[in-house]
Parts: sequence; structure tokens; C-alpha cells
Amino acid sequence: MTPKANQTTASRTGLQVLLVEDTAADAELILRELRRGGFEVTGEVVQAPEAFRRRLRASVPDLVLADYNLGQWSGMEALDILREEDLDVPLILVSGALGDVAAVECIKRGATDYVLKDNLARLPISIRRALQEKGLRQGRRRAEEEVARKAAELARSNTELEQFAYVASHDLQEPLRMVAAYTQLLAERYHGKLDAQADKYIHYAVDGALRMQTLIQDLLAFSRAGRTGLKMEAADCNLLVKDALQNLIAAAREGGAIVKFRDLPVVLGNAAQLRQVFQNLIGNAIKFRGPKPPIVQITAEPIDGAWVLSVADNGIGIAAEHAESVFVVFQRLHTRTEYSGNGIGLAICKKIIERHGGRIWVESAENQGATFKFTLPAKEPALNPDAGTVGVERPDAQQTPSLVG
Amino acid sequence: MNSTELDILLVDDSQEDIDLTLHALQRENLANHIQVVRDGEEALDFIFCEGAFAKRSLDCLPRLILLDLKLPKVDGIEVLRRIKSNPHTKLVPIVILTSSKEERDLIKGYDLGANSYIQKPVDFDKFRETVKRIGLYWMLTNQRPLVHQAKGQGA
Amino acid sequence: MHNKPQVLLVDDNPADIDLTSEALSRGRFPHRVSSVPDGVEAVAFLRREGKHMNAQRPDLVILDLNLPRKNGRAVLAEVKSDPSLRRTPVVIFSTSQARPDIGRSYELGANSYVCKPGNLHEFVQAVQAISDFWLGCAALPQGEES
Repeated sequence: MTPKANQTTASRTGLQVLLVEDTAADAELILRELRRGGFEVTGEVVQAPEAFRRRLRASVPDLVLADYNLGQWSGMEALDILREEDLDVPLILVSGALGDVAAVECIKRGATDYVLKDNLARLPISIRRALQEKGLRQGRRRAEEEVARKAAELARSNTELEQFAYVASHDLQEPLRMVAAYTQLLAERYHGKLDAQADKYIHYAVDGALRMQTLIQDLLAFSRAGRTGLKMEAADCNLLVKDALQNLIAAAREGGAIVKFRDLPVVLGNAAQLRQVFQNLIGNAIKFRGPKPPIVQITAEPIDGAWVLSVADNGIGIAAEHAESVFVVFQRLHTRTEYSGNGIGLAICKKIIERHGGRIWVESAENQGATFKFTLPAKEPALNPDAGTVGVERPDAQQTPSLVG
Repeated sequence: MNSTELDILLVDDSQEDIDLTLHALQRENLANHIQVVRDGEEALDFIFCEGAFAKRSLDCLPRLILLDLKLPKVDGIEVLRRIKSNPHTKLVPIVILTSSKEERDLIKGYDLGANSYIQKPVDFDKFRETVKRIGLYWMLTNQRPLVHQAKGQGA
Repeated sequence: MHNKPQVLLVDDNPADIDLTSEALSRGRFPHRVSSVPDGVEAVAFLRREGKHMNAQRPDLVILDLNLPRKNGRAVLAEVKSDPSLRRTPVVIFSTSQARPDIGRSYELGANSYVCKPGNLHEFVQAVQAISDFWLGCAALPQGEES
């Protein structure tokens, strides 16, 4: 019959009151006062804690009026029981003489108010105020729940988008591979055998297909970079660089590249993603080479419980005014005929490093090579660079600088 | 925690063939680190970190084993059997590189799980060419089964 | 080595079958190619059952992983656990670069794993590398039961 305590304000009609009172006469007086105050009151009276609890569980009242002194127990214990039952029901103490100190104590402990038995006329006002406050509290709580719900929905929607981007780019690869391969085969087989127009059309188709392929691969990498909930663990940068070089063997051989690194630290991060960062940076260093064969140096410096890793090259460099924009997605500084690529590699690096709580930037000048630097947390947070290798695993002392090409 | 990676373990008792093989591989820059052992017992000691190689780490497995069959002390087939039946080592690619032309050895090799079987060409140039092709295929084309044995490192 | 080696291509994508056959034929080594589009037929071909009872026993199998009816892994498991079939070299040729796919294939007994490149030029190179090694260099346990 009585709903849960979700009624915001008791109407001028219907107020469910639970009285904790051991004197029947007093209970009667209180109820009479409430009716006089304009409430259509339904009251239950209990005297013992078990009965109180039972009534609460049977139906939640709008209000509890409790005597302070109930012989074996106290009205304040009723408050404790309300708390245990996790109910937000205002409790007003209706008591004989209480004394200021005790009264303040009760309020501090959570009683909404107290009213003296010889001043019951105050009760209706007190009740109205209590109910109003409760209404406000409930309103606020609902607003908070709404916000939380919207945030959860947003997070879910973001995850869905991420997954979609990932799945879309992943699944697009296969049909694209077919288009790219067979337009190229057409080009090979029929070049010069149809007419000049046909050659041109086929060439455009091939070009478009190949561009789409790298674009999809880049989008895939970019969406991977943005994934949340990745495993972070100890990652040995030496191994990451070696893996990256394995993937760059062809490019490195072609460019006659030499990559030097030694004694790089173990950092905290996601191995696959950090490998991607090294791969992109080293790959760029090889791609954007100058007239001399590319030399890439990878070093690390400890700083404040973190590491600053540098990938330095002797290539064409980057003009100062472009130092920021190179990290913008799809931002390219050269035409496609000059250098291949979609301009997403550095954007991916930036996304990954920022996900790791680090920062990435470049120090360079035109034709003077470029040094890309990024910060990563150390494997052990409290790393003292002077105290030797506390908590940092170093590769074998036999490790010599690795050269490729 | 990972030691320097070992590219190839070459198991052969013929110094001439060893020299040719090393030369062919190094000329193509296909492998930085090649370990040579000259009999089957040494080969097993190396892989299982026993005997003279007790100080080696069990985690440091070669990317490829080139295995001759006619070996002193323990023959190649036995080496193959031991390595391919041990769960820790069975994924290491083993390419048999032997002068044996016996059909029986060929079948046994593949049956025991050798990844491939090559008959050593008699001709000097062909031998070099063959080793080069082996190196190119198993170091560059083929995807390796194991990456970084050390814990916590993945591909 | 008597007859030309028989290569069995297992791939559900006819475009890839064509590409692979084409690339193999550009290689220098004589061979014969058969193809089947799914895992069930692959096993039937190897066992010379049903419509494949007159098939030539393959000396080399080039196997994709993503197949209908029975996928590459299942084919691998079946072939490599059968004493009469396990000696046939199986090269996995798949677009997947995922470590779990690679690792699992080797665990099931794959002799080799080669990634299918997305780029035509590299695709042809990969197939030629397979041909150069397996047809040009390796001794294959030729077809018939010994």
C-alpha cells in the first residue's frame, strides 16, 4: 500500500508516520497535533527496536518521530537502524527536556530536528521543513544519476565508434586488396595493348586503389592507437627497437640505413603500441633522408622518474614553423610525388605517447636532421638516476650497438 | 632479461661445409649471430643448456637450426627427435641440410617434424646459392614461431 | 626427383588462387598446381577420397587459414596428426599477421608461415620466395607411400 520513500513531498493529504514512543498518551498527543497542523496522518506506533525494524521493512514511512528516552533503548538508536536499512527517512526527535548539548549532539548524529513535548505546536513546521529538504535531496540525487547514465552512454557510444572504426578498416582491407592487385595485373597485362586512354584509366584506378590501401592501413593503426584498456607492463625498449627494425628491413636496406642504439631502458607501457612508435619514427628517419645514407641514433635520458627517448636522424629536417603541425593527422609537408605516406604516422605516435601519459615533440631545422623526443614513465616509479640501476632491468652487458644494413 | 638473440645454430661436422655456409650467410647479411657446433651431443647440450653450455639461458633459442644428419656422438635424426619432442623447443624451425640422398632419411626427417629438408649440392656455387636461399627464406620470408622468450615481452 | 612437384593451393578466394598460381608460374621451377576452395575438400584431396580419388598426391600444400566449412587450423591439425599425411610440407599463407594465428599454426605442425602481403608486387615476391625455396631448393617427400 505504501510505496517506497519516493514521494518527494507529502501532500497536504497522506503522511505516513512511524512513531517510536513507549507512552501511548504521548503518541496520541503527537498525532493530534499533526492533524491540527493540517496533515492527514496515518500513524503506527512501535516501542522496541525489532518492531521498528519490522515495520520499516513492511513499508517505508515518510517520517519517523522518536522519543529520545525509551527505557531500554534510545531514539538515536532508531536513527542507526534507519542507516542500517539504508533508508533516507527524516527522523525528528520528540522528547522531554533534553538539554542543549544533547540536542546538538543528536542533530550532529543525523536527527533532522528535535521538538520538545511541551512545545508540540512546532512539530508541523519542523515536519514540513524536513520533508522539503528530503525532496531537494532526492531531486539532486536523480540529477546525479542522470549525469552518470549519460556519461556511461557516451563511453559506450565511444567504444562502439572505436570498434566500428577498427572493424571497418580491418574488413575493408580484403576487398581493397583484390581491387589493388587486379587493377595492377590489368596494368601489367594490357599496358600498350589497348589504347592510350585505357592505359591512363587503368593507371588512375591503380593509383587510387594503392592510396586507399595505405589509407586504410593508417586508419587501422590510428584506431588501434586510440584503444583503451590496453595492457601496460614492463617493456624493454631494446627489444622494441629490434622488433621495429625487423619490420623495416626492406626500407633500411634500400636506404642503406644504419640504426644505432644501446642500453635503452625498460619502460612501463604497452609493448605493441610502443613498438609502433619506434617503427614510425625510425621509418620516417629512413624515408626522409638527405643526400647521405641515413644514420639514426636512439638514446635515452632519465628525468624525474621518467625517461626521455630520442630518435635522431641526419635527414632533411623540419622547418621550425612546422614543428607542431607534423603531429596533426593527415598533415603532410610534401607532395605525394616527393614522399609517400598519408601523414598519419606521427599523429599515431602522438596518440600513443599521450595515452601513456607522455609528451612527444621534435627538435629540428631544415636540412639539419631531426630529433624526435618523447617521454615515458619508467618501469619503477621512483627511479634515481644516480643510484645505479635500481629496479631497472638492463640487457646483457654483451649487447653491442646494433647495426642494420 | 633477454640475452643477445641467436639467429642460427649450425650443426655440421665438416669444416669445409661450415666455412661455405657461414660465408654464404654472412655475405648476404642474413644473420648477425651464428653458433656452430660440430656433433650431435654438442648440439643437444647447446639447446638444452647442459654440459659445456650449462650457463646458457634456456630462453635463448635460435631462430633457425641448420642440421646435418651424419654427425659424431649423436646423429642428426636423434637430435631432431629430441628437439621436436620437447615442448619448450619443438617450435624452433629445423632445416635439415645433409649430403644424404637416402629417401629413407628424407621421409624420417619430415615425419619427425623437420620443417624442411635440403640435400647439399655437390657443386660449390650451387651450395652457396642454396644456403643463400635458405637464409633468405627462413630469416626474411618465413614468420617466426617464437618471439622474445622473456616474460612480459610480446610481439 | 622424378615428376614435377604437385602443389595444392587451399584458398576460398578464387582471385588469390589465380594470383598465387600466376606468381608460381613466373618462378623458374616446373610444377603442377591444383586448388581446392575449402578445408573439407583439402583433406579429401590429400586423402584422395570422393571426387578427388584420382588426385595426384601433393608434394607441397599452401594453405590459407580463413576457410569455409573447415578452417585452415583444423586442416592442419588433421593432416599433421595423420601418420600417412604428416610428412607433406604445409606452408600457411595468410593475410593474418596476428601472433596467436602464427603461434597456433606452428603448434599444430605447420612447416612454415608466410604472410600474404596486401600489395601485388610484394604478394608476387612472397609467392616467388615460397617457390624459390620449396620448389627450387628443398627436397620434398614425393607423393607415394613408401
